Amino acid sequence: VQYERVGADVTMKCGSMDWDAAVTWTVNGTDIDESRLNGSYLILKNVDLSQSGQYFCYEGSSWHLKYQTYLRVGTPPKEPVLMCRSNNYPKGFYCSWHLPTPTYIPNTFNISVIHGTKDMVCEKDAVPKNRCHIRYLQLFSTVKYKVTLTVTNALGKNFTTLTFDEFAIVKPDPPESVVAKPVPNNPRRLEVSWQNPSSWPDPESFPLKFFLRYRPLILDQWQHVELSDGTSHTITDAYAGKEYIIQVAAKDSDIGTWSDWSVAVHATPWTEEPKHLTTEAQITETTSASTSSFMAPPTTKICDKGAVVGSGAVAVCWTAGLVVAAYSVLFI
Amino acid sequence: GDSWGIFTFLCAALCNLPALPALNCSEELGAGQSIQQTYDLTRYLEHQLRTLAGTYLNYLGPPFNEPDFNPPRLARAERVPSATVDLDLWRGLTDNARLAANYRAYSRLLCYLRVLDGQVGTAELRHRLAHFCASLQGLVLSIGGVMSSLGYPLPAGPAAPPAPPGAPAAPNDFLKKMDDFWLLKELQTWLWRSAKDFNRLKKKVPPAVVTLRLEARGF
Repeated sequence: VQYERVGADVTMKCGSMDWDAAVTWTVNGTDIDESRLNGSYLILKNVDLSQSGQYFCYEGSSWHLKYQTYLRVGTPPKEPVLMCRSNNYPKGFYCSWHLPTPTYIPNTFNISVIHGTKDMVCEKDAVPKNRCHIRYLQLFSTVKYKVTLTVTNALGKNFTTLTFDEFAIVKPDPPESVVAKPVPNNPRRLEVSWQNPSSWPDPESFPLKFFLRYRPLILDQWQHVELSDGTSHTITDAYAGKEYIIQVAAKDSDIGTWSDWSVAVHATPWTEEPKHLTTEAQITETTSASTSSFMAPPTTKICDKGAVVGSGAVAVCWTAGLVVAAYSVLFI
Repeated sequence: GDSWGIFTFLCAALCNLPALPALNCSEELGAGQSIQQTYDLTRYLEHQLRTLAGTYLNYLGPPFNEPDFNPPRLARAERVPSATVDLDLWRGLTDNARLAANYRAYSRLLCYLRVLDGQVGTAELRHRLAHFCASLQGLVLSIGGVMSSLGYPLPAGPAAPPAPPGAPAAPNDFLKKMDDFWLLKELQTWLWRSAKDFNRLKKKVPPAVVTLRLEARGF
């Protein structure tokens, strides 16, 4: 195998053949035009990726194979991107890395972790490949960790370093099993519950706090609630009848940063079931005498949508009216 | 030079003062000398320390105020109590041992900080340090209160080392600054560890509601 940089000029010699010998070159089974040759040498100027392949050189008349090589065109590695994070505090942390641009040739990664004067071993994960993990031997360390990642290939090498305190890289995984349910007979409530991320090993001694955000699908503005403990919360100011999108994030209660947002859940608050029309008409007739002074105007649309008859109807109408008013204020 | 000798001598002298000016010694602590309050205090102190440390490290100047400054730990610096602990050991600490470790650590750290207070140049730093020392004193008392309410004996105050023989030599300025740097670092680490210590205690011990009458206490 022969490795060459993109843009380089490559000269291939046909083994021990003299410069003026008659030869034929092929690449991936196709003959190469004579114009590319300088005597028996193959000249490739400013190589690009498409010129990677298997090259053969045959003696002119006998067609004996005199030379072969596999050419791989690539680039030396750029500075790698390294990230370290503790999502399982206090057990340890993991580091993962990747190259910002591909090199098109094989690369080897070497990672070293130094804690003060001690060298630590970062155990490589099978899956995903570009990742390794370390177990903490000591907790509450004043000395920083220094992680160096070196990437090497046939055309060059590069490296990057991260230095951090134990507590700075703590970032839990997002909360799991987020569930949002309507609350019966409460048109403005939604009950949200979730669980600690399963990767967090000790929520008893290392409790998490949570951040909840929610909005109706039709609006862009999120509402936020920070919860210092507990894995459930009841939203009490939801707009009646509107579908909501809800997400939760987690953080160690004292150190580190917030997790990514959890998977979003959708929920709509409880709404009254619409009643059958004829039943409503009958009841209205029988109670009209006692409730005449509070009879809702027949043109009010929301009330007609199946409001409960009697003074209860007025209450629902008023609530609905307030909601409409709130919406109209928003949309002005 | 033996700046540490002077340091510890000063510390011993200051720490054996019977009356602590920043403290009203006869205090009746109302309802709620609880673990929760101690936890809250550590969080408050951690917040205060961030500002104090920033100011102080700037006062020390480079490289101490550089964010990447990561010096090796010199043997001399280990006189400051370290919060670093083996994970399983930390988990297995009894409530008494856990509280006592905190009590001892902060008592000594407070001592060292008071020496610092006597030496710093700017008025702003002196003011900040004094305020911080007062809050830290409150934390030590809070921890002591929790221990007493749980029936644990308070650990003895920091031992007074003997005065160094002969004339004290001039301290090395850079090494002195290194000592200050590590003092602040250990303080920061202890406050962050205490939050975790008290979280653990919160779960295991119900909040103790206690009224204490404190006497002037020499450390």
